[in-house]
Amino acid sequence: MFDSRTLVSTRETAAVLALMARRPAPANRLAGLIEEEGSALRLLEQLDSEVADRLFDVDQKTVTLDELEEHVHAWEREGIALVTILDEAYPANLRMVYDRPAALFYRGRLDAQDARSVAVVGTRSATPEGLDAARGVSRDLVGAGYVVVSGLAAGVDTAAHTAALEAGGRTVAVVGTGLRHYFPKSNQALQDQIGEHHAVLSQFWPGQEGRRWTFPQRNAVMSGFARATVVIEASHTSGARMQARLALEHGRPVFLMRSLLAHKWAQTHAQRPGAYVIDSGAEVVEHLERLYAEQLTLIA
Amino acid sequence: MAEERPLTVEEASAAYESAMRNVLPPGPGVCEVCGTWIAEPWRRCYPCSTTPQQLDVVVPITYSEHLGQVHHALRYYKDGIASVRTYAATRLLAILWRFVLAHEPCVAEACGVPAFDVVTTVPSSTPERDEVRTLLRTIVEACDPLADRFERVLRPTGQVPSGRDYDERRYVATRDLTGLAVLLIDDTWTTGGHAQSAAFALKQAGASTVGLVVIGRHVRPSWQVTEDKTSGDLFNGLPRQFDWTTCRLD
Repeated sequence: MFDSRTLVSTRETAAVLALMARRPAPANRLAGLIEEEGSALRLLEQLDSEVADRLFDVDQKTVTLDELEEHVHAWEREGIALVTILDEAYPANLRMVYDRPAALFYRGRLDAQDARSVAVVGTRSATPEGLDAARGVSRDLVGAGYVVVSGLAAGVDTAAHTAALEAGGRTVAVVGTGLRHYFPKSNQALQDQIGEHHAVLSQFWPGQEGRRWTFPQRNAVMSGFARATVVIEASHTSGARMQARLALEHGRPVFLMRSLLAHKWAQTHAQRPGAYVIDSGAEVVEHLERLYAEQLTLIA
Repeated sequence: MAEERPLTVEEASAAYESAMRNVLPPGPGVCEVCGTWIAEPWRRCYPCSTTPQQLDVVVPITYSEHLGQVHHALRYYKDGIASVRTYAATRLLAILWRFVLAHEPCVAEACGVPAFDVVTTVPSSTPERDEVRTLLRTIVEACDPLADRFERVLRPTGQVPSGRDYDERRYVATRDLTGLAVLLIDDTWTTGGHAQSAAFALKQAGASTVGLVVIGRHVRPSWQVTEDKTSGDLFNGLPRQFDWTTCRLD
């Protein structure tokens, strides 16, 4: 049976999931192995000669490959779609980072315009100024035709998503839990709204609860999904700080709000190539038009 | 206004800097040809000791860890959707530009010439692919320090099965190069089979010397270099700060 969009068989999709469960490589290196092989099923068969008999621990159940195909359809009925590294619809920016996940679960729809997206992130315990800054940057990005990406956390993330929606823009959430969960619970309505009209993405099994390790892994995916990351307000321990580091590793620009320079980590980051200190969303847009120009004039 | 400021080579070349690692000079534990790790007392890695050495000097800009960000950029600047490809290709162009601007004199000196007369690229493996896969050529044509001397002087013969092996029938030069010093450019070095085959063809056409600048020296992390160290261990032990002021010939 073939997926109507991309002609990748459900069996291949199931094989990607089986590999995620079987873990022949860390989760963030599996996609590369599958792409090199060109087929998840072939890679799986190389690992287990009797694939049909093997059981995989997927989403809190132990299942065969056949049953996994059924799972894919069951998730679809639940409103949870799947895109794998073998699908053409796999997000274009994310494909370009080395530690991309082999599969993404999502509610809503993926859109080619998501390639023109910017992540706006920051602390859960934001100051009023921080929330204002997040809203301002979000509005400026929407005004310039960018998709606003964030993580649906309290504080800066919520402000960024909400302002994008209010400005009539598209916003995408990359969450640190499976898609059956909401974190924080207070963002349930916002998550449902984004999932209905835009897209909520997760690299985790739908039943996965938020854990200390899920949120940082999510930051890597958010960085990869977007052209750039804007950090609004973030302490030393914040996931946003981690995302700034990951974005630089991905070769993506990082924009730091000037107020962050009160923190030592931000001072250090601001010195690194690829990091820019900014005062407004308009400045982010200006930099991005330059950094992502179609016709590039390089000067020595 | 930022918009009016063009993108500088320095700025664009920095994009993958946190994933870049300077390639080690020849010395104990390092292949004198290509810079990969070897067990002592060997001086060359297995591919470099079994492949005829046609290149007079090999200078990779950075190590490229298998499935790491540099490797990924080197693979996908040729594929991907246009906007993504443009971004990666521009960054790789900037890396090449910045590197040759600083280090072409070192490469020429190692080849015993004051400067290179001709710059060319290692072609794709088949004539068909070589017509379609134009991005490496586009990069060199856009690279200011090299563009004036760029010339497409090599073609794949199509007589050799695809694969990485050195083969003297793999490429052929399209013109006489008698007495000319040639700078060869490639994106990735894995075993050196293609680059050495290209250098053979250049020398058959009369080139006096051939130096290679290649962006990534591929590293397979699982390779067991010594009893207790893999390539991955040695790669991870490299200084994390990429230094543009040195090359492996310093």
